[in-house]
Amino acid sequence: MNARSSGPSQRAWDTARQSREQRLAAAARYARDKLVFHEDVTKLLEALVRSGDRVCLEGDNQKQADFLAARLAEVDPVVVKDLHIVQSGVVLAEHLDLFEAGIAKRLDFSYSGPQGAAIARALKASKIELGAVHTYLELFSRYFVDLTPHVALTVARCADREGNLYMGPNTEDSPVVIEATAFKQGIVIAQVNELVDKVPRVDVPGDRVDFVVVAPSNFYVEPLFTRDPAQITETQILTAMLAIKGIYEPYGVKRLNHGIGFNTAAIELILPTYAERLGLKGRIATHFALNPHPTLIPAIESGWVEQVYSFGSEVGMDDYMRARPDIFFTGRDGSMASNRMYCQSAGLYATDLFIGSTLQIDLAGNSSTFTKDRIAGFGGAPNMGSDPRGRRHASDAWLKAGREAAGEPTRLPRGRKLVVQIVETFGEKLSPTFVEGLDSIELAKSLDLALPPVMIYGDDVSHIVTEEGIANLLLCRTPAEREQAIRGVAGYTDVGRARDARAVEELRARKVIQRPEDLGINPLDANRSLLAARSVKELLRWSGNLYDPPRKFRNW
Amino acid sequence: MSETGRPFGASASWFLSTARERLAKLLDAGSFTEFVPPSERAQSPHLASFDLPAAFDDGMIVGCGRLDGNSVLVAAQEGQFMGGTFAEVSGAKLLGLIRAARDDEKLPRSILLLLDSGGVRLQEANAGELAVAEVMRAIVEARAAGVAVIALVGGRAGAFGGAGLIAATCSAIVISEQGRTGVTGPEVIETNKGVEEFDSRDKALVWGVTGGRTRRLIGGADAYAEDTAASFREATLALMGKARPFDLATLRAEQARLAGRVGRLGGCDRAAAMWKALGVADPRAAGDMDDPVFVALVADVKGAGDDAR
Repeated sequence: MNARSSGPSQRAWDTARQSREQRLAAAARYARDKLVFHEDVTKLLEALVRSGDRVCLEGDNQKQADFLAARLAEVDPVVVKDLHIVQSGVVLAEHLDLFEAGIAKRLDFSYSGPQGAAIARALKASKIELGAVHTYLELFSRYFVDLTPHVALTVARCADREGNLYMGPNTEDSPVVIEATAFKQGIVIAQVNELVDKVPRVDVPGDRVDFVVVAPSNFYVEPLFTRDPAQITETQILTAMLAIKGIYEPYGVKRLNHGIGFNTAAIELILPTYAERLGLKGRIATHFALNPHPTLIPAIESGWVEQVYSFGSEVGMDDYMRARPDIFFTGRDGSMASNRMYCQSAGLYATDLFIGSTLQIDLAGNSSTFTKDRIAGFGGAPNMGSDPRGRRHASDAWLKAGREAAGEPTRLPRGRKLVVQIVETFGEKLSPTFVEGLDSIELAKSLDLALPPVMIYGDDVSHIVTEEGIANLLLCRTPAEREQAIRGVAGYTDVGRARDARAVEELRARKVIQRPEDLGINPLDANRSLLAARSVKELLRWSGNLYDPPRKFRNW
Repeated sequence: MSETGRPFGASASWFLSTARERLAKLLDAGSFTEFVPPSERAQSPHLASFDLPAAFDDGMIVGCGRLDGNSVLVAAQEGQFMGGTFAEVSGAKLLGLIRAARDDEKLPRSILLLLDSGGVRLQEANAGELAVAEVMRAIVEARAAGVAVIALVGGRAGAFGGAGLIAATCSAIVISEQGRTGVTGPEVIETNKGVEEFDSRDKALVWGVTGGRTRRLIGGADAYAEDTAASFREATLALMGKARPFDLATLRAEQARLAGRVGRLGGCDRAAAMWKALGVADPRAAGDMDDPVFVALVADVKGAGDDAR
């Protein structure tokens, strides 16, 4: 060991803490202890936030710190500019206003939903410097490595005077955002619906929270996971039957995640009817990493579901979950508890199947929800819709998929996650789901993105389900076979019509492709009478009137 | 027959059924005879120029049948074809049916209109507007000639625009919880007046203003049916033969009834306020309750029963 040439380093080791203390001192005049009047928030932000800071403005999949977002958009862009926004959801118009006004410049995010087109426009106009579009786990991980926020603007249902926060069922991203910020000498500001003497449950301890403001109105939550059963089509029911009979049953899929589309809502709603008649109760679909989908209520009530862990909550499900603690994770106060990072990890490592819909699938099975003029973001689907090569525990479903992928017995068996794309061959406005090339490649070119955005890479996809049948890509041995397997379920799209009919029939003989009739399914049986609930009101009935549907779904 | 069968029985949802399914289960089994059936290819001559597919019945099915042995004329709109809209052919089929009843007293004295329509077809707007006006006049003339015209409203498109006007011209209206009547549809109000004035995506608001339970409670519909063909059949049978003579006394009574309603409810700015004014203690619970409980509640509400027309 070399002797040091000099004594201990003379550099300052606590510049971040000093910066934090200077900011707190500058902001003190706008706060009494931790409490800030809502009228003073813009001034408080101008005192606390410094140009170039990394700021997380939650910005989650469901809940929104909408009051703080509006106040940040009001700061003087001369005082505060060039912020680097690092948040999972860019969902509100105010999030984009920051870039329009020059308050923010750089963006790293995960999901954009309704703002997808606005982000694309801002990128083209050079109003945004885009770092990357992440998956949730990826962005959360980078909070601890190279995207640690200087300031986090969070949101909770209530707080006490010490800053303890109760987030209730919508905990979502907050714990991970706040840990990364607070423990790296950042500043945490929370907007809350009310101030209370004692919070029902401490979701975030007060010593990680610097300021609390009671917002003039309750924070916004989007009912993102409610699917009205009345909108489910017979084609979607057919694909749901195919998935159950052709995938859930043979692999014995018990642990799983569902996407948010109508096809998977149909699966949830025919568990108590179709799957029950197949005698599958207790043998499939028992453990979910899943948001509390209202369409899961009939399966829960008829004893199909053992437990559900959730990324976030869903508007209207609070009382129902409180009354079903055997199924959902609940705090000592009785209300449900969620955590997006934990649930994404659960979905990645502890489930055997992901099934979800998409907008476009190419000939290699790559899929994307990005179109030429929309940066839709990823959210969590690429995490759950991928084969985690770090997994080391076995299950029947995982081993069977691994055997199919290997082809022949091997001395070193490996498992494989089931990653299923369930789609109709034509999507909205009769746009074909199957395409020769993804729009996202064009998008990446026009916006100069380093990485064409792909939701799920083809080599992670195990099955594609359409109304024409199931393609099992695990059993394909060559890229050419894979292409014909995809064409073979692509229906009357151009991709489907360009199939090699003989190759497709050979694949069918090998059960690489299975048609409804090969699985004993009569498409005429796929009708709405199979749905355990056919309307939102029937979901309300199933729940014993505990489910409280959001206004936009109360069609009565 | 397969294990699960077709969805449509007498207990299947009226809201989700097609016009033909509704007719099949509403009328006595096998009693329906269609006039100008699809085999005659009476379809829109205009849709092709918009590159839109036509339907062999133009979304309007007319004919005759029996309801518990009583002969009736029927018309049913297919709300899933072009929104059940009034156009040149669909309008002519309906108008012909009503004029025939007006002019020929050997024909059945009851007409059932299974409305499911967003109004006039925009691609054939002039013909559609004319059809609505002519149908309204024909209904008035038929009623004056002693024909009862009963509207059944419970389809996905509701009864808006011309269909809302036509419903209001009928002798009586049967409505279900899912049914909606009105003139200007929610999306049109939002487009013209802004989302702050009327949020068409707020279904609780839309149904609160236009929906079956509000319409029944305030006397805007004469009978309430559950969302099944069996229940619509029962409610329609109960109304048949009860239509008042279409004369000056009836019109005066109707005018007095509507003036009274404006007096009682005109100051309310939302459905829940109207329900409260009518004596419904908990409007939210009344919205969520089961149909039979709601029917019992309606019986106690002042105003829902004072029909004049």
